[in-house]
Amino acid sequence: MASVVSLCRSAGFHERVVSCVEGRHSGVGGSFGLRSGVAFGSGVGSLRRSDGCTSSGGRLSGGVGRLEWRVAVVAKVRRSGDEVVTQANGAPASKTESALILIRHGESLWNSKNLFTGCVDVPLSEKGVNEAIEAGKRISDMPVDMIFTSALIRAQMTAMLAMTQHHRQKVPVILHNESERAEAWSRIFSEGTDDEVIPVVTAWQLNERMYGELQGLNKKETADKFGAEKVHEWRRSYDIPPPNGESLEMCAKRSVEYFKKNVVPMLSAGKNIMIAAHGNSLRAIIMYLDSLTPQEVIELELTTGIPMLYTFKDSKFLRRGSPVGPTVAGVYALTKVRDQLEF
Amino acid sequence: MAAASSLCPASSAAAALRPGARLCTGRRASCFGASLARRNAGVLGQKSLFGSVCARRGVVSCTLQQSADALVSNGIGSTSCTKESALILIRHGESLWNSKNLFTGCVDVPLSQKGVEEAIEAGKRISELPVDMIFTSALIRAQMTAMLAMTQHHRQKVPVILHNESERAESWSRIFSDTDEVIPVVTAWQLNERMYGELQGLNKQETADKFGADKVKEWRRSYDIPPPNGESLEMCAERAVKYFVENVVPELEAGKNIMIAAHGNSLRAIIMYLDKLTPKEVIELELSTGIPMLYTLKDAEFLRRGSPVGPTVQGVYALTQELARYRDQSNPLNGTIH
Repeated sequence: MASVVSLCRSAGFHERVVSCVEGRHSGVGGSFGLRSGVAFGSGVGSLRRSDGCTSSGGRLSGGVGRLEWRVAVVAKVRRSGDEVVTQANGAPASKTESALILIRHGESLWNSKNLFTGCVDVPLSEKGVNEAIEAGKRISDMPVDMIFTSALIRAQMTAMLAMTQHHRQKVPVILHNESERAEAWSRIFSEGTDDEVIPVVTAWQLNERMYGELQGLNKKETADKFGAEKVHEWRRSYDIPPPNGESLEMCAKRSVEYFKKNVVPMLSAGKNIMIAAHGNSLRAIIMYLDSLTPQEVIELELTTGIPMLYTFKDSKFLRRGSPVGPTVAGVYALTKVRDQLEF
Repeated sequence: MAAASSLCPASSAAAALRPGARLCTGRRASCFGASLARRNAGVLGQKSLFGSVCARRGVVSCTLQQSADALVSNGIGSTSCTKESALILIRHGESLWNSKNLFTGCVDVPLSQKGVEEAIEAGKRISELPVDMIFTSALIRAQMTAMLAMTQHHRQKVPVILHNESERAESWSRIFSDTDEVIPVVTAWQLNERMYGELQGLNKQETADKFGADKVKEWRRSYDIPPPNGESLEMCAERAVKYFVENVVPELEAGKNIMIAAHGNSLRAIIMYLDKLTPKEVIELELSTGIPMLYTLKDAEFLRRGSPVGPTVQGVYALTQELARYRDQSNPLNGTIH
């Protein structure tokens, strides 16, 4: 056990992880363990210790308890998750588990004026800035290896503001590939620094739904111009686009396609991902993660600034809820993991 | 634009002079501290165009009547164009690599919490200055600085970043309503920080180890020696000032009040241009982070106005009549016009 503790310490984890590893936390029902800290599920205190847990961090001994497994996963995060956890007898245990954090940006300067924003690139209001920082506090102990945002400043600011609160203090760096010069100019020449970097990829495919000729109009103008019924139809339908705009279906198609092509492979490789994006692009992704119907997704409203956690394991997405705060496990749903880990 | 609507500070005098017609009289020296008076018309590097530029501006800016036009073109009041534009320069605050003492250059790292606070503070200081258009670099730390600063602005016009990186980006970002309440934001790589080449990402120790302390000192202190695969200050200045002259100055001349949120080197290059500094002087120039610097452009001259300590404290800011008027109008709690 001591070796695992020192492993976690040397891995630079927050002290809370270390104390968890040492079994100090008695845990609360429903807590989630991938988060690098915090209370674990009930029964932690009764877990057997593993004698075979080595300092390599990637091996589990026979009779592994939940605690050691989780610690091993946490340690794996440090190495950006390319290792496969194995049991002492050599058989591969569950594959890597990755965290996926989704954050919808907070209030923008047009939200407060009640204007259809869509892909118009307006920034956050002061309230939106505070929401982003609050969201950051809630995920401050969660592993983040890579960040995806949309091409719009309000999502990018949300991600960057949230990360100012992150305990691990790795530095997000936006990757530039819009031109050869941009790519060449943004190169980092230090390998040591590279390790301390969280790549940030910006993608228009994660943009808010494009609202076409509604962009910039307020509710009244829209109703006056197009008629209240038409507006209601656009809001409530899945596949009817406003003039020169996207339907929710069109938005979902390009965001989910992007997610599958670019984000899922990273999750499969064990990277912990954060996506900072918008109401429609995120609920499209959630539609995919939770296998929702069009009707269900139309009803789905995502709270702004509240991070949503999923874990990816064995090619399956598990919904974990929203962290109320880094030390309160409550809302995090853990049941499935607990089932899988029972021996 | 509030500032543009009251363009003739001498209007009261003009009314007495010629009822019913507004006339631009000569420059009012009392508006500007004489000690702040700048050097010559060569600022724009287009001496020969000075006269015509000014006369043109005089016609455009003041709602002059025909007779007044004739007077202006005849030379009376030809240096009096009352259109005046504000230019605010803000250097972004602490980034996540600043705090780790790494050469950042064009690596796109964001602000630290401290840098976020610096940006908001800067915003409070300019909350009552007119802003019609914003230019930033292509790097997130400058863009965040601008957007955070503007959350504090009293006028509450909404900055909107213009996208032209592709046809789709352009068409998707179109606004279909009246855009009076919008402040266009242009992002430009030419306003980026100096590109530090192979130093990017290295800390001071690594750099000294790899290249030798003397070489590093040379790059820091020279004007025209670039680090390997990087830019010299001269190269940075060339592209930043060129961009400024080609894109920002025309807007200022048209009467727009501009804010530029950028970086230590790109901004001091621009200041080198505004204040006509020598290479040696610009190397010595250190810009404070998060403290806005104000210039005004009037009659084709840039006048340095200092840095505002706060929106209501005039002290270090020599507000012109126009700016004072704007400030007073922007916040009902402010005092009366001087």
